[in-house]
Amino acid sequence: MHRISRRAFLAAAPALLGSCGKRNRIRLALNWKPDPQFGGFYAAPYQKHGLEVDILPGGAGTPTVQMIGAGSAEFGIVSADELVLARSRGNDVVAVFAVFQNCPQGIMAHASRHLASIGDVLQEGTLAIQRGLPFARLLEKKYGFEHVKVVPSPGGDISAFLRDEWFAQQCFVMSEPLQARHAGVDVTVFPVADIGYNPYTTVLAASGAQISRDAGLVKSMVSAVREGWRSYLDNSKPTNTRMHERNPSMDLATFEEVAQAQKPFIDTRETAQAGLGVMTAERWKTLITQLAELGDVPQAFPAQDCFRNF
Amino acid sequence: MKKILPPLIPFVAVTVLVEALVRGGFVPSYLVPAPSAVLRALMDNRAELATAMGKTSAAAFLGFALSTLAGIGTAIALSSSRAIQRSLYPYAVFFQTVPIIAIAPLLVIWFGYGMQTVIACAFIVSIFPVIANTLTGLLSTDPALRDLFRLYGASPGVTLVKLRFPAALPQILTGLRVASGLAVIGAVVGEFIGGEGLGSVVDVARTQQRVDKVFAAVLLASVLGLALFGLINLISALTLRHWHASEQA
Repeated sequence: MHRISRRAFLAAAPALLGSCGKRNRIRLALNWKPDPQFGGFYAAPYQKHGLEVDILPGGAGTPTVQMIGAGSAEFGIVSADELVLARSRGNDVVAVFAVFQNCPQGIMAHASRHLASIGDVLQEGTLAIQRGLPFARLLEKKYGFEHVKVVPSPGGDISAFLRDEWFAQQCFVMSEPLQARHAGVDVTVFPVADIGYNPYTTVLAASGAQISRDAGLVKSMVSAVREGWRSYLDNSKPTNTRMHERNPSMDLATFEEVAQAQKPFIDTRETAQAGLGVMTAERWKTLITQLAELGDVPQAFPAQDCFRNF
Repeated sequence: MKKILPPLIPFVAVTVLVEALVRGGFVPSYLVPAPSAVLRALMDNRAELATAMGKTSAAAFLGFALSTLAGIGTAIALSSSRAIQRSLYPYAVFFQTVPIIAIAPLLVIWFGYGMQTVIACAFIVSIFPVIANTLTGLLSTDPALRDLFRLYGASPGVTLVKLRFPAALPQILTGLRVASGLAVIGAVVGEFIGGEGLGSVVDVARTQQRVDKVFAAVLLASVLGLALFGLINLISALTLRHWHASEQA
């Protein structure tokens, strides 16, 4: 009896596994705490697309791109430049959905300094910036860091900025400047795109192996995420409430404000035609040329392998 | 040769194994760099790494020197009276439990960007083992010898300098050995937030996904820790060899 039941079980196992597999359990690694830049990922109707997604919040320096390559997360949030670098180091990671069509990275300085351009910021005082980032190195190459004291970026913390008029820091143009204004400091913001550097940011990526193994699953994921972003753009309140519960350090009003401020970066003229998250080879080529100028990747690095629209 | 060979064997074995695993494609090089790649990173960036190493060394050494002085001083004060010890020792324990990564950004606000913050980090992380070990040493003087000093009418100061402190040396040096490694860790953590040095190199290389360079900088930080450790061992050998069993074998 025992033997028969065991054999019966073994025979039935594939069917059982098959029925479990109907809902695909998937991990999505974020590179920061829950905040509006991930709104659409929290709003996405995964169940409708047959997916069960565990969103893994991150922190400063969460190596999402390595996590995707190592298989410790099926999907992850990366930036376009990070992805190109990873590919050049043999980590086969592919972009499938670009949330921010325009780079929201920038530098903020005190308005009282009356600075006219990003180059002026580098003429005196202190600049807090992540030196390893390509845009920081492009700035250094273009203007030099001889006249400014460069210190590590304090993440989203603006306390040093508030205390020192001569302190400038890298920021997300819709986030830290808002906090500074709330604290009563008037700021001037210089988007990094001003110097022509404009990579896709908050990009959903998967490993090349994952895409060739199960393109259908990736397609379901992208569809769910696209719907999520649409609904978040239309009505961010319910999702913001949920994200605020997971990240109480940002108050609900700020969640709302940032969600409004980031809209033009996500919903652009191109996405109105081609759909949210869609990428072009042209943009990837421009980025590769810029990274090649820095000596990070070879000039002939193939752009079309970096992304795939679903 | 007898001393060098035993630790060298596992080092060579592990190095060869990792190299083989990476070259054979079993471990991707963007997760673990081949030892040969780390060596190349060391060579290619030697100027930058040397400058960084110099800054980290200076900060770690100064932080360590401060905790040595302040730690031993505090322990002497604590050992002088039970009442002082009871009221202050819990606060010394506080230093051991400080999550340095959490308060490092505050240190930047108090001391500003640069070396002061890095030294403060190294100091905070490394002072407790000095206090704890020195205190144990000072409190465990042989009672018979203490009685002898009292019998001859030695003042507390003389007893401290001629008996209690020398007798506590083995424990003090143990405290310093532990503190030396911690000072290097504290300095590197401080540099993540305060800038400059090996910590800054690690931070930048990590952003650029240069695992080889990260490991090169980490390797140098361990060399620095070993150097400080070696210095304490040297002092230990010089001061203890005539009388303490630990240095006579």
